[in-house]
Amino acid sequence: MSQLLSLDEASRCMKCGFCMSSCPVYNVDHIESHVARGRNVLIRWASNSSIPVDGAYGERLSYCLLCGRCEAVCPAKVPSTAINVAARTDLVNKRGLAWLQRFVYRGILKHRNLMARLLGLAALVPGVSVKDGKPLRHLADSVSIFTKGLSIPKLSRPFLSTRLPSRMTPPKGVHVRGQVAIFPGCAFEFFFADMGERMALALVEAGFEVVYPQGLTCCGLAVRSAGDLTTAQLMARHNIEILSHFDHIVTGCATCSSALKDYGRWFPDNDAWQPRASSLSAKVSDLSEFLVSEGFQPKPAEPVTITYHDPCHLKWRQAIRDEPRRLLGSIEGLKYVEMEGADECCGLGGAFGITHREASLAIQAKKMQSIRRTGAQIVVTSCPGCLIQLRDGARRHGLPIEVMHISQLIGGQREQPHRLRSAGDGGGQSPRPKSAP
Amino acid sequence: MSLSASTLGKLRHIVGAKGLLTTQVDLAAYSFDGTSNWKGMPEAVVFPTTAEQVSQILKLATEQGIPVTPRGAGSNLSGGSVPVLGGIVLCTTRMNKIIEIDTANFTVTTEVGVVLNDLNRELARHKLFFPPDPQSFLAATIGGCVSENAGGPYAVKYGVFKHYILGMTAVLPTGAILALGGTTVKNVTGYDLPQLLCGSEGTLAVITQVTLHLLPLPPARQTVLAVFNEVITAGQAVHRVLAEGILPAKIELMDNWVIRRIEEVAPLGLPLEAEAIILFELDGIPAAVERETEGVINICRQEGAMEARAAYDVKEAENFWTARRAGFSAIFGNSPTVFAEDVTVPPSRLPEVIGRIQKIAEKYDLTIVILGHAGDGNLHPCVLTDEKNAEHYGRAEKAVHDIFSAALEMGGSISGEHGIGLEKKQFLKQAMPPEAIDLLRGIKKVFDPSGILNPGKIWEEA
Ligand SMILES: Cc1cc2nc3c(=O)[nH]c(=O)nc-3n(C[C@H](O)[C@H](O)[C@H](O)COP(=O)(O)OP(=O)(O)OC[C@H]3O[C@@H](n4cnc5c(N)ncnc54)[C@H](O)[C@@H]3O)c2cc1C
Ligand code: SF4
Ligand code: SF4
Repeated sequence: MSQLLSLDEASRCMKCGFCMSSCPVYNVDHIESHVARGRNVLIRWASNSSIPVDGAYGERLSYCLLCGRCEAVCPAKVPSTAINVAARTDLVNKRGLAWLQRFVYRGILKHRNLMARLLGLAALVPGVSVKDGKPLRHLADSVSIFTKGLSIPKLSRPFLSTRLPSRMTPPKGVHVRGQVAIFPGCAFEFFFADMGERMALALVEAGFEVVYPQGLTCCGLAVRSAGDLTTAQLMARHNIEILSHFDHIVTGCATCSSALKDYGRWFPDNDAWQPRASSLSAKVSDLSEFLVSEGFQPKPAEPVTITYHDPCHLKWRQAIRDEPRRLLGSIEGLKYVEMEGADECCGLGGAFGITHREASLAIQAKKMQSIRRTGAQIVVTSCPGCLIQLRDGARRHGLPIEVMHISQLIGGQREQPHRLRSAGDGGGQSPRPKSAP
Repeated sequence: MSLSASTLGKLRHIVGAKGLLTTQVDLAAYSFDGTSNWKGMPEAVVFPTTAEQVSQILKLATEQGIPVTPRGAGSNLSGGSVPVLGGIVLCTTRMNKIIEIDTANFTVTTEVGVVLNDLNRELARHKLFFPPDPQSFLAATIGGCVSENAGGPYAVKYGVFKHYILGMTAVLPTGAILALGGTTVKNVTGYDLPQLLCGSEGTLAVITQVTLHLLPLPPARQTVLAVFNEVITAGQAVHRVLAEGILPAKIELMDNWVIRRIEEVAPLGLPLEAEAIILFELDGIPAAVERETEGVINICRQEGAMEARAAYDVKEAENFWTARRAGFSAIFGNSPTVFAEDVTVPPSRLPEVIGRIQKIAEKYDLTIVILGHAGDGNLHPCVLTDEKNAEHYGRAEKAVHDIFSAALEMGGSISGEHGIGLEKKQFLKQAMPPEAIDLLRGIKKVFDPSGILNPGKIWEEA
């Protein structure tokens, strides 16, 4: 496997330590092998064999949310997250994947159909799934033993791909501006299908024909971040193949958009897929980024106080900060309050939230304090990962607040937030007047 | 040497299992600091959270003769927190509570592991101002700054850390916990021990808590950018501003090399052809700031500035200062080894010392980048070299030597703010008479009879 980024890049770190105080993980335990500066040195020393490349080393590599804050403050512009991923990849190449990871990445995530079938079966178990209109309780606690207590949302029934027509066109009278393909990602497909629908509706209302291409698979970021580059590339190639003939690809998942926009860097320069990946990456937008650039004006809403949480994958990885605020701020009737620490991490960081549960909960607790101080009734975000973690936190800390995805406030028939059901559910009402079963 | 299982057990008993690191990868992350070449592996890292725990650790270390190196964020530039003799690294980063902000008396009492930037953020909420601003404020802890007597651009007008220390809690290597100083600006009670500990580079005691003096936030600020085609004229302009009775809050100098690197990394539209840029900050009541801004601009023009103007807005001013901060990074990022020097001369001799440094660079055929706190005569001439190239490195060492001699000849010092640590201990003899070095040794002996605290720093063993 050719190396995408030389581990020598780590030697550009001049050890100033500026990244330390901005790192959510370091701020929990103050251990230097858990932050970019220490890790960059370890990576350099491991690559020249000054320290052993062993399990303990791998564990330190994993102690990172890949949130990108360290890069944002780094005066030397050291690509610390890419260096970490390269080091993880190197480690996987040398030592292989743990069996569980191998099973999840290569056995399940890679095969969307299999995943759909497994989850579809699970959805039949009472209490595990959410069906439109049905009273909603909390997660199936049986699932949470696998997630060390993280509340997993219920499965949507049916999944998004069966809910949406293969092609949606703007209502009569709306000028058709073009066509977009949506990339809902695993979360909208399986867990938050209602939000996926609302994303599609917002795009339709903005004047776009919306296509949900058949056969997409997971964006692959979790797999890539864990260092399984081979599988991640396989997944990327699969998605590129399907998406490449669309002009615009839009996703409401901050993680998916950061992954798709990064596909160009998942393939080395001498790989035939590299140019295709790069040109695909250039066509990808986050939902709010796309809607703002198209001058979309959401409809008025009920008066309610909202605040916004910046997903790391949006703010730090894609520098998208103003767009969601612009959209939310333009909704007549809503009162927007800015949260102090809006861009503090929620603590999930993909698998980190499960593998490093204690640190994750400590980061989550800080976030909950910031949210509480806003006095808002709804906290809005742009990433289903954050949404899961924030809902889990709200429940854990008894916060009387709803957590919503931005699509729920801008697409389709207005939801009536204060009458929404408990903050922990994964469903919500159908945005469409009684069409779905 | 390696710590015995029973010693590790005792340490674990003091700080708890989560307060002790012994795995090799973890230890490696504490074997360096902000310098490019000093390394030393510790055998354990401990994270005490109270003065009592610090006391127990130091007592144990004294009993067993184990070296203890205090460490905050490890961002110093003198090798000060590198455990050259192994032993224990005592890391203060979990003592990170701000204990009290007293808005009536303009003081803050804080634990030492608080990062300076975090303290400033908290103070800003109360419209309070703590001026000393080492440019590592995003990393540096209060304890590290006190121990290095750090300071930054604000030093011209507002001084450095030592000018703000009212009192502290310090733990002696023998384990005694002492409350020193007080909470008032005026306090003459015996020898001024807090001042002695300030700048002692962790060799006398471990500081666990400090009380600092604060100021009200100045109501107005303005930044002036002045561009020169010679570094020496820039130095002259600075000198004239001060001589005419204007006391800017900051006066910072960057030379052409730095300007170019900044423009490469984060373009700000700085003029690439400029030999030097000076950034001034004026602060105070609005009317005074306005007059002084005009004054500075006029003087710079008279002294031959190619351009001198106020920042258009707060955002632009912020960008200029960010660029200044990026200066050091640019230097370190562009050279495998850097001697980031820290000489200080009386401000009136600034143009002269700059001229000398340029000659030294020519003589040894080296790149010596100059940036610094021009207002207080504190310059950071950075000699770019590569320790793997012995011949080049040798020339660089000679150049550093010559720079020190030049500064000392002009009545200056070899370190304005980074401290001596390991990096400059071989030069101490040049800067201090032998009797004074003996005095340092004697003081060390009184505080630390077994010599366990940060051994191997500041002076060479006789
Ligand atoms: C990019 C960059 C820019 C810088 N700019 C400036 C500048 O403008 N001005 C300036 O003055 N300095 C500057 N510095 C250096 C400055 O000395 C340090 O950043 C700061 O003072 C160290 O704080 P720290 O918490 O990292 O301490 P460390 O580096 O961990 O420790 C510094 C010294 O203090 C001792 N020590 C630390 N904590 C304690 C304690 N609680 N009790 C006793 N001893 C202790 C250590 O043993 C060591 O000798 C800069 C450094 C960098 C990397
Ligand atoms: S990516 Fe985030 S968690 Fe990882 S080192 Fe950087 S700041 Fe810390
Ligand atoms: S901020 Fe950048 S250069 Fe500084 S220590 Fe962190 S990674 Fe290294």
